Amino acid sequence: MGEGMGESTPVRLRVNGVTTALVCPPERILLDLLREDLNLTGTKRGCDLGTCGCCTVWVDGKPVLSCLTLARLVSGRDITTIEGVTPASGLSDLQRAFVDHGATQCGFCTPGFVMTATALLRDHPHPTKPEIERAIAGNLCRCTGYIKIVEAVAATAEGRP
Amino acid sequence: MHLDPFELHRPSSVEETVSLAGRLAPAFDYIAGGTDLLPNYKMRLNVRPNLIALEDVSELRGISLDRVGAMVRLGELETDPAFGSAYRGVVEAAAEVATPLVRASGTVGGNLLVETRCFFFNQSFPWRKSLGFCLKADGDKCHVVPQKEKCYATFSGDLAPTLAVLDAEVEVAGPDGRRRVPVASLYDASGDGIQRHHLRPSELIVAVHFPPEARTLRGSYRKLRIRPSFDFPELGVAVAARQSADGGVERLALSVGGLETYPRRFDDLTRRLVGERPTIAKVRELADAVRQLVRPVHNTALAPDYRRKMAGVYVRRSVAEILGVAEETR
Repeated sequence: MGEGMGESTPVRLRVNGVTTALVCPPERILLDLLREDLNLTGTKRGCDLGTCGCCTVWVDGKPVLSCLTLARLVSGRDITTIEGVTPASGLSDLQRAFVDHGATQCGFCTPGFVMTATALLRDHPHPTKPEIERAIAGNLCRCTGYIKIVEAVAATAEGRP
Repeated sequence: MHLDPFELHRPSSVEETVSLAGRLAPAFDYIAGGTDLLPNYKMRLNVRPNLIALEDVSELRGISLDRVGAMVRLGELETDPAFGSAYRGVVEAAAEVATPLVRASGTVGGNLLVETRCFFFNQSFPWRKSLGFCLKADGDKCHVVPQKEKCYATFSGDLAPTLAVLDAEVEVAGPDGRRRVPVASLYDASGDGIQRHHLRPSELIVAVHFPPEARTLRGSYRKLRIRPSFDFPELGVAVAARQSADGGVERLALSVGGLETYPRRFDDLTRRLVGERPTIAKVRELADAVRQLVRPVHNTALAPDYRRKMAGVYVRRSVAEILGVAEETR
């Protein structure tokens, strides 16, 4: 039951559909495991304190903050990162809309927004503008002022370019 | 930011959890959603060598109108339609805790026991070291009210005031068994920003229980903060009331959080309206009395004078709204 201090025991995760077993100590944060152990650097480290949403990934399909998730506590769960929602070639409709609407400028927050908004559109295919704004409230963007991001999500929901 | 090493424990029952806690106390923290604890650990705030994860304890789950498990996520609570129609105030508060991403992990029990907050506490280790550590972490003096006895960190949970006005109780488990504590008496003026509740070190909140009367009350929550999408409360006003068919007040309760070291009920003041037909003059009198009684200090983003004035404004608006009293237009 107790997992020793600093002791590294194997953790089994299913990341983007691939089951991976790797050794990680109890204090390992999911964000660090993804970026440093699995080299999945699409997930960004922003504030590292749960404020900005740059590190958003899905655990069992639900958007969560990977910077505030202990890797050992999601052992056996399904993890999806931005690499997992990006098609093998090209971009998803939502990612394309981000590009077309100028919803990405410096781009650092974009993976987090895409993870949050993709889950929104999966669960609520036709959100209203206030619903979109509410859903992305945990993701910070310092460049766009959000208007273009909301437009990109709305356009994707409406199936228009 | 990497975390300092700790030992991680994963018990699967309440009994196993509290027995482990009894052995480890006080050198442990429970970890529920981790959205408050882990940022504090990253800032090296009162880090402990053991974490007891509550993730696998199934008894801490489940939502019904009588009981909400301590590990229920705030996001689950705010989207439960039956719960939402019965307890509007609680759901309004849950939906205003931080962001959807935080609420996806943050829990009911975690919000009840959320760490008190202070401008001089919620800072990085180098920041605190450069100024000199404070009473609440690593130091022996308070930077807000200079003295060495009492911590003034602010109670920053949103749920507690809304549960207190419904007379909800927490079921608490400890190495010596279980007990029920009214949410309203979980915190009081006898504590401070460090001794912030009346749970013993190894005790665990299992669930929140609602008395049958709670379903007969109308409740609401009004929260003051800078960014409506994220911040902790600078003020949180919860009210619950029931009126007779002719509008007479049968029951009225008020609890105010985000101002002092504990969420504070004002039973002596609200009792004066019971049995009365409410008027805006009486509501105003209640709001003025609350404003004069509360004592916020300068340890959050907004100035204490402003928060105190807004306590009067929010109490007036919330009580007038819940009792259906028209506010005067000026």
